[in-house]
Amino acid sequence: MELSTNNSSRPIVEMRNITKTFGSTRALRGVDFTVMRGEVHALLGRNGAGKSTLVSTMSGFTPADTGTIKVAETKVTANGQCYSASIRKAIGHVQQTPQLFNLLSVAENLFLENPVVRGRFGLVSQERTIKLAKELLSSWNIDIRADALVAELDAGTRQLLEIIKALSRGVPVMILDEPTAALSNAEKRILFEHVRALKSQGVSFIYISHHLDEIFEIADTVTILRDGQVVKAREPVAGLDVESIADLMMGKKTVRSTREDHVKSHMPSLLEAKQIRIDQRATHDINFEVKAGEIVALAGPVGGGKEALAMILAGQQIPASGKVLSPRGGMPTIGLVPTDRHLSGYVGLLGVRENVVVGGLDILSNRFGFIDRNKEAAHVGQLAQQTHVVASSLEQPVSQLSGGNQQKVVFARALCRNPEVIIAMSPTRGVDVGAKEQLYALLRNLAKEGLGVIIVSDEEDEVAQLANRVVIVFEGQVMDELSGDYTIKDLVLRMEGVI
Amino acid sequence: MSTDMVSQSDSTKTTAHRSKWASFGSSFVSDGYTMYPVILLLVIVGAVVAPRFATATNLVNILEQISVLGLTTIGLTFVVLIGRLDLSLEGVVGFAPMVAAVALVPAAMGGLGLELPGWTGLFVALGIAGLIGWFNGFMVVKVGLNPFISTLGLLVLLRGGVLIISNGRSIYSPGKEFTFLGAEKIAGVPLSVVVFIIVATVVGVIFKYHRYGRALYAIGGNEEAARAAGINVDKVIWSAFVFAALLGGLAGVLMTGRLDSAVTTQGQGIIFSAFAAAVIGGVSLGGGRGTIVGVVSGVLLIGVINNLLTLAQVPSFYVQASTGAVIIIAAILTTLASRRSSGVKTRT
Repeated sequence: MELSTNNSSRPIVEMRNITKTFGSTRALRGVDFTVMRGEVHALLGRNGAGKSTLVSTMSGFTPADTGTIKVAETKVTANGQCYSASIRKAIGHVQQTPQLFNLLSVAENLFLENPVVRGRFGLVSQERTIKLAKELLSSWNIDIRADALVAELDAGTRQLLEIIKALSRGVPVMILDEPTAALSNAEKRILFEHVRALKSQGVSFIYISHHLDEIFEIADTVTILRDGQVVKAREPVAGLDVESIADLMMGKKTVRSTREDHVKSHMPSLLEAKQIRIDQRATHDINFEVKAGEIVALAGPVGGGKEALAMILAGQQIPASGKVLSPRGGMPTIGLVPTDRHLSGYVGLLGVRENVVVGGLDILSNRFGFIDRNKEAAHVGQLAQQTHVVASSLEQPVSQLSGGNQQKVVFARALCRNPEVIIAMSPTRGVDVGAKEQLYALLRNLAKEGLGVIIVSDEEDEVAQLANRVVIVFEGQVMDELSGDYTIKDLVLRMEGVI
Repeated sequence: MSTDMVSQSDSTKTTAHRSKWASFGSSFVSDGYTMYPVILLLVIVGAVVAPRFATATNLVNILEQISVLGLTTIGLTFVVLIGRLDLSLEGVVGFAPMVAAVALVPAAMGGLGLELPGWTGLFVALGIAGLIGWFNGFMVVKVGLNPFISTLGLLVLLRGGVLIISNGRSIYSPGKEFTFLGAEKIAGVPLSVVVFIIVATVVGVIFKYHRYGRALYAIGGNEEAARAAGINVDKVIWSAFVFAALLGGLAGVLMTGRLDSAVTTQGQGIIFSAFAAAVIGGVSLGGGRGTIVGVVSGVLLIGVINNLLTLAQVPSFYVQASTGAVIIIAAILTTLASRRSSGVKTRT
């Protein structure tokens, strides 16, 4: 591999006018992006700004729709077709979630599909794999058994292994997308040492992180994205500070609708969580309540525990300790909109009616358990109107609906049991703007009618448009709370883990 | 986004131009009627080819022959709807009535010497079947075994169990009170056919109109979504295995009644026919799709074909092979029909 260090002003990655559209979302709108040899280039932007999409089009995981990409000597003109094979030799991409084989050993994972361990007839030498893996691991000074199964490793070690695997390929360009999310401080130090060492050999890095302190420590250059466009290109990190970066990341967004406050002081509390500990590692109890008419957002960095807390509140996950109660006694009636509607939201084979009814089988059936057909038709019809589901008929399979309508069906299902509290996780993920506003209006109306609303979201705008109170969850604990007239800047800084 | 605001009833009207035939076709397939025209055709062809086919006696005979397979297939449908399977049903068909038989008859006839009163036979058989189903549910839900391997093991175990408790000998004439369900007739109609029709109707209604049925379809379609919707998924899965085994046990009792003996090889091979009947009837082995109307059509088709081949005096070696061929062809038909009727890609 040729790594010329003497010419550091020569670009190694040049991307011109990259566009990428997912459904109705324009993730990248004509992005130019350049990386020089031997530099650590930080890519910043809020959730949904297009960072991960941009690096994915660079490595080819997600083919770009249009534009040109030049990595080292390879030039690609994108047309939506897959091109990852042609640039794979020049680029390594560590994704947010490790892509490892849990049931293979560490050594096998490190050298999978690597010709150095292959002998004649394609036979793979187990001995050689283990030997090379041991050498590699000791060069990183890490204490992992080469023959351990990846499933045995903790999240941080797995993340590090993914990075080691990518870096050991000897490619001139490395993408690190949130590499430190699961790493301990010690592991982070090891990683940074290696990044610096490889940088001095001429390897270039594209570095994405939510932790601005890491950017100041490791990066040379910064590019900032907002809404799929570059708002700051190739700025030396020395010329920036936290405040100016935050301003650039946020920009002046036109907020389409604003939050409403339906909480009155005398409103009863609907759900009380007492002395919750999400898992064994948590060191502080979480106490939490939701009042009638209140919209509470659980926010915080990815992997900080906000989803786990929501699942505990919904009664879908058992906490390490503590319990969730209704002030009336027992569990409150809860409607849940799960994070991933494809995975756990709807039943694609079934029609709209059957999907909705699944959420309220107990209230729609008589004492022998038979569904009351009149009640069913009336209730489902009313819910479909309330959530604005558009389908050719209530019998149309939900798999045939658009993303926004599928999500509305999931909302209707959550409301089917007439819940006191609705917990909506990523309520508008993958939903177009129109449906988004309808869902926001729906949530506000529910609060107005006296329901308690809990949302979990990674989108600052969404939180700011909806929530009267924001609970910041980080490292399995409630770190902070915003309420009343908080600004979006307060929110962004806390959600990105800066403050 | 004004179009999005269109309420449900309005949008139904605007898409009413979708041809009536297309919507009739898709509900015809999804409700499980696909195979009935084929059966009708076979009956007509049969009536022409074999004069003895279209007699009342023969048609009743077909129904009597399929009632055992029918109950087993309905039982199997419970577990297949939730995306599982139960091979041990075949073992239940032989084992449950055998236990009842050895508990009824005196030791001299190969019994255990318990000599329980005859009316208890049905309850012993169903009790044993229910326990087996409970055990299957326990293995799948609590222990977390793959039902393929756990029920396969149990199938082999039950086959051996039949030989152990019966000492390898069939039990003849286990008593009228035990065999009447499979042997008696009401106004010329075998009681077993009546039992099959009642069970099919009740289960059909439960699948369609009872919360339990809705839960089965939801779990089969997307288990995680069912859980998130508040369904007690584990309980439903567990109970589906119990219902399946109970129906297998009932099928076994009918079989013993018809033969007036609990035979050691009773039920062997029935699970393959049951799977075939279910698939022909449009039950998806992946779960979440299938109706009792369809299951009955699958069972009928297999019964009619077997009967026709026998009447046409096809040599018995060929009967088996041609039944297999017909199963494959029918399965292709059902799959194509359901793909055509529901694979339409529409976006609102």
